[in-house]
Amino acid sequence: MGLGQRPGILKRLAAMAPVRVFAISGSESAEIETLLQDPELEQEIVLTDSPRSANVLLAMGEFPGSMQESARRIHDQLSRPRRTLWLRQNVSAPSEAIFPKAIREDTHCDLALLLRKIHRDLLTGVEPSEEPILPDEEPALWRGVGPYGQGGTGMTGGVPYGRPMAETAPDRDGLALDQLSVRVGPFFRPFPSGLTLALKLQGDVIQEAAVAENPFDAQKSNPYFESGDSFIRALSEPVPVVEMEMARARHHLHWLCNALQVHGLGALGLRTRAIARSLRPGVVAPIAQLRRILRYSRSVSLVGAGVGVIQPDKIRDRGLGPVARAAGLREDLRMTDPAYQELGFEPVVHAENDVRSRLWQRLDEAMQSVTLAARSGNATSGGGGRVEGPRGVITLDGNSLPLLLGLLPDLLYGLEWGDAVATVVSLDLDLRDVRSQRVS
Amino acid sequence: MLTALGGSLIIAFVAGGLTLGLRSLGGLLTPPRTTAPERVPFLGGLGPETHAWSRFHVRYYAMALLFLAFDMEMVFMYPWAVVFLREGMKAMVEMLMFIVILTLGILYAWRERALRWA
Repeated sequence: MGLGQRPGILKRLAAMAPVRVFAISGSESAEIETLLQDPELEQEIVLTDSPRSANVLLAMGEFPGSMQESARRIHDQLSRPRRTLWLRQNVSAPSEAIFPKAIREDTHCDLALLLRKIHRDLLTGVEPSEEPILPDEEPALWRGVGPYGQGGTGMTGGVPYGRPMAETAPDRDGLALDQLSVRVGPFFRPFPSGLTLALKLQGDVIQEAAVAENPFDAQKSNPYFESGDSFIRALSEPVPVVEMEMARARHHLHWLCNALQVHGLGALGLRTRAIARSLRPGVVAPIAQLRRILRYSRSVSLVGAGVGVIQPDKIRDRGLGPVARAAGLREDLRMTDPAYQELGFEPVVHAENDVRSRLWQRLDEAMQSVTLAARSGNATSGGGGRVEGPRGVITLDGNSLPLLLGLLPDLLYGLEWGDAVATVVSLDLDLRDVRSQRVS
Repeated sequence: MLTALGGSLIIAFVAGGLTLGLRSLGGLLTPPRTTAPERVPFLGGLGPETHAWSRFHVRYYAMALLFLAFDMEMVFMYPWAVVFLREGMKAMVEMLMFIVILTLGILYAWRERALRWA
């Protein structure tokens, strides 16, 4: 389109639509992801569950070697026209050409304005669409035994696109039916970034699940130690209780926002996020009202009931925080903290030990934290090398994230796909959380 | 004066022309040819390992069989509906008895978990 030439009416109308964005995040992206909580973004941006529905790829942080090929594939799976915005804390760091044509910005940009401009320029033709990064090569040609590719054994004759047909395996009724081998991740929207599950599915029932290696384990730097995270600071110095409890409440509410969006209750999720933004010490009413809505919602009351049950013996004394307390285990480091003892702290415990129970557990803990924050005054806690974080016990050594990941294969066996996703979400995993939780 | 044949031919040509026109329009609006990586189904960033052609148990076949059985119940209700007004309350009671017997069968199937396929 030439200078001074106005784009057509269709292009201008298309540019006015909400920006459809598919977001992927790597390491060193905790601060960047807070940009997504801006209320202005909710008006302008739609975060899609699949790159097929999006025109803009929002890449956040750094991507370890094992995730780079997947990131490029995600880029190519975006609908045309497409554009990539890569937000990094250090814009000039070497990028190993993951996204050659991406627009690179640091974390101090106006994200809503930038996404809107990229979308407008893309759809009005000011900026061209990005070409695919990966080469246009089939995994393998469809070859059979004949000179023209025909013939061969099996239903298809030959090996279509280099991929074998599904193998057979006994299902629940003893019938030998087909079993699909599928690997989901590392950028599957409901899952934590970096989580890859190797599944064997019959229909939508999981017959076998394996967790791939954590791609962030090999990261040399631990960005969480550079962040202003209250719980990390509390490992080495006293931190006001009000600050830690408000951070805990916000963490649980942000988890709930994500969980509700996964369960298809997006509007309630946005409402939860708005509550988290306007949270004040002692103001419990908005959370209590949210609890009432969720209590009377048939969707929430039915989802996750009896699903994802963990045997308490497997997680006893492992410092798993809300997951353990939702299983009826009365474990919380704050019980032995003098500052919390003065406040009369008693841990919230639920006994059902399923996905729904973990939802109520975090919601009730958020309410408790807001109440504690109001009553704490100038009380401080921490400096002892161990602290009760929102996901469980935090120390400077040890890591119980592998414990939760190790529980997944048994937990997901026999579940339908929807229940499996709900179970993974209920565990509140973060594979980048290479700061530790103590393994006793 | 348009004959029936002429009218049919006009409709046939208009329908055929519309179809070809819409197909051509689709071809004009199609984006450029996609590459192999663009066509890979979305699985979170990884490619598929096997083909998606697979057979799986059609567990809801019990529902299909029950539907057939109750469809036959409806077949019995059609001639009944024709004579119902003439016969009056007697026909009403007889049909109610028929439906109640079949409903008891459905309740039995429900209790025996025949309606669960997950």
